[in-house]
Amino acid sequence: GDHRAAARTSTELVAYKNVNDLPPPKDLMIQIDQKNEAVLFPIYGSMVPFHVSTIRTVSSQQDTNRTCCIRIIFNVPGTPFSPHDASSLKVQGSIYLKEVSFRSKDGRHISEVVQMIKTLRRQVMARESERAERAT
Amino acid sequence: MTDGHLFNNISLGGRGGTNPGQLKIFSGGILWKKQGGGKAIEVDKADIVGVTWMKVPRTNQLGVRTKDGLYYKFTGFRDQDASSLTNYFQNTCGLTPEEKQLSVSGRNWGEVDLNGNMLTFLVGNKQAFEVSLADVSQTQLQGKNDVILEFHVDDTTGANEKDSLMEMSFHIPNSNTQFVGDENHP
Repeated sequence: GDHRAAARTSTELVAYKNVNDLPPPKDLMIQIDQKNEAVLFPIYGSMVPFHVSTIRTVSSQQDTNRTCCIRIIFNVPGTPFSPHDASSLKVQGSIYLKEVSFRSKDGRHISEVVQMIKTLRRQVMARESERAERAT
Repeated sequence: MTDGHLFNNISLGGRGGTNPGQLKIFSGGILWKKQGGGKAIEVDKADIVGVTWMKVPRTNQLGVRTKDGLYYKFTGFRDQDASSLTNYFQNTCGLTPEEKQLSVSGRNWGEVDLNGNMLTFLVGNKQAFEVSLADVSQTQLQGKNDVILEFHVDDTTGANEKDSLMEMSFHIPNSNTQFVGDENHP
């Protein structure tokens, strides 16, 4: 029991180890960093990374006035199928970022982002469940 | 220039993204001017209550807190600028800049800290992001555990970001004791 729990935490997914590992600043728009399995969001002029494994769902919606909305829902405890309960349980009492929504002027960019997040998320999830299976 | 320091290419960060400009730090305080004119920010030395440094990707960010509860963030300082300015703030304003650290681990769980009108999301005691509650148009409680913050839609402040934040929500589990029955809760 204990031993396995320790092994599990050591594989906790981390997007970046150092501040300078982040991709060079580009435009302030949602970016995907495939290599580090991270999604970066522009929040108050900074690019804020989240590991793709923290993301539960992503969806987009076309607005009436040629703008587009994207909504990202993160894993939080208590939701079914939340895969990181094991690692999040150890930080009882934490506050979770549950959801962010952005408005965009570029619908094509948003649909690309949605597709890329979905694909990356699927890849990482498949790899992690395979790894978990091998560990048992 | 005889007095203070002048920096070109310093961005002011905020709700609508970042704006490039020129920053002057002198004995009277801080003056930032947007490139090409327009917006300017002036903070009198006497109004500065705190200064912070944070290493952000490839550069340094200066945070200036004023006694009115405002918080300005200037980005684009080299390491050597940061250390010379640290001395300058100590000698001229009697303020010792505080070092903050940026979280880049990519976790979505941590702590929320409220200071003035800034809400900071901290992961492992490092700052993941900050938002200003002054830009929140509405807050909603959803269920027992979720708090939704809706941000003003503002197209006028020269926003240069392609994707702009509209809404954000936090999940506060019952096991969290920080905000029990707190009226000022975000």
